[in-house]
Amino acid sequence: MCLGVPMKIVSLHGERAFAEALGVRREIALSLLPQPWPHPGDYVMVHVGYAIERVDATLAEESHTLWQAMEAGRDA
Amino acid sequence: MNARDTLARIQALPAPLRPIRVLNVCGGHERSITELGLRSLLPDWVQLIPGPGCPVCVCPEEAIHQAIQMALLHPLTLVAFGDMLRVPVNLNKGEANSLAAARAQGADIRPIASPLEVIALARSLAPRPLVFFVAGFETTLAPVAAMLAEADLPANLFLQLAGRRTWPAVEFLLQAGSSFEAMIAPGHVAAIMGANEWRFVAEKYALPVAVAGFAADTLLTGLHAVLRHALRHEAALDNAYPAVVKADGNPQAQALLAKAFDIVDAPWRGIGSIPASGYRLTSLHAARDASLQFPVAISGHKRSGQMPAGCDCAAVLLAHKRPSECRLYGRACTPESPIGPCMVSDEGACHIWWRAGERVATA
Ligand code: SF4
Repeated sequence: MCLGVPMKIVSLHGERAFAEALGVRREIALSLLPQPWPHPGDYVMVHVGYAIERVDATLAEESHTLWQAMEAGRDA
Repeated sequence: MNARDTLARIQALPAPLRPIRVLNVCGGHERSITELGLRSLLPDWVQLIPGPGCPVCVCPEEAIHQAIQMALLHPLTLVAFGDMLRVPVNLNKGEANSLAAARAQGADIRPIASPLEVIALARSLAPRPLVFFVAGFETTLAPVAAMLAEADLPANLFLQLAGRRTWPAVEFLLQAGSSFEAMIAPGHVAAIMGANEWRFVAEKYALPVAVAGFAADTLLTGLHAVLRHALRHEAALDNAYPAVVKADGNPQAQALLAKAFDIVDAPWRGIGSIPASGYRLTSLHAARDASLQFPVAISGHKRSGQMPAGCDCAAVLLAHKRPSECRLYGRACTPESPIGPCMVSDEGACHIWWRAGERVATA
């Protein structure tokens, strides 16, 4: 539950945004983040649909690798 | 520094006479450690032990029973994070002993993955009451707090809270006596609450602690830091996840938490009451308290507050036993037919070990 997924912001609308990770696009909430909010192209760490912190792109890549490895392990 | 180099540096540390036990308190860490195979990669003197990092596992039976009864007796819909549905409580035969069993008896109970889904569902069901049964740590309670702060939150949305704070459980373990020599603090809890929340481990209990994330590099950096300190008998707080975790955390999230919840003493299943470890709705949100709106009588527990008979989940959560030391692990208890909550939840150590292929029962 606490793992979190880094996602890339695609578009903003009010307190919500559309964000993408591993080819999946989802609506997320930005209301937990201090202002100023991130822009499209920025990465955020998302937990149960809410961005909890900004992250940089390198970290996002590494986490995705881990995530995929875990999902692979899970299916095995 | 990359993960391979950090691993080499850990392997090059001088072996102490006695093993060093490193506690983690986050199901995400336990998953990373297990999936990355760190236990077999690290030297023998390093023992990585899972602790109370499973909010669904420590959710009191009374809270689950209350949710079950609410959904059975009142005309409402109840939602919970998916893990919670199959967690069993000790009840007499024939009674619905999990949310899933109550659903099979006709209660409207649904799994959800986000408070955003809960808001949307409440809107679509209105005016039918929707009860959100919340288990989780700070990382989950902060989103719930943000949900409560939404301007046009549907009036038919109610909460039953079983959320818990992480650090009080660690302090509880430390006060009970030494079962570990170092610890890794949960990265995403610390993203919300700040790395400094863990300073007490170093300052009050003289043990090394490092905040770490979930990928190999940050986790190994955190492990290297605490092992190096432990070998020198030093106590320190390190932040091995600075890309995400700030010293004082996320101020916006903390402000929302403070507005939504008061801090209260709270029971942890199999462990007992831990001071200042739970959340209660503030008076601002009192009208959304599901237990007041939809009262139920709950009694008749066979072994109240306990894990199922023969299940060592409490000892696993207290870091006294490893999953494979339970006599039921992999025999009577598997993810397909779980006996205790540690085999049900994605964050339960038994579930994580079994899914990763740990098959040797050591009991
Ligand atoms: S293996 Fe099953 S019965 Fe044993 S401690 Fe884990 S959850 Fe409980």
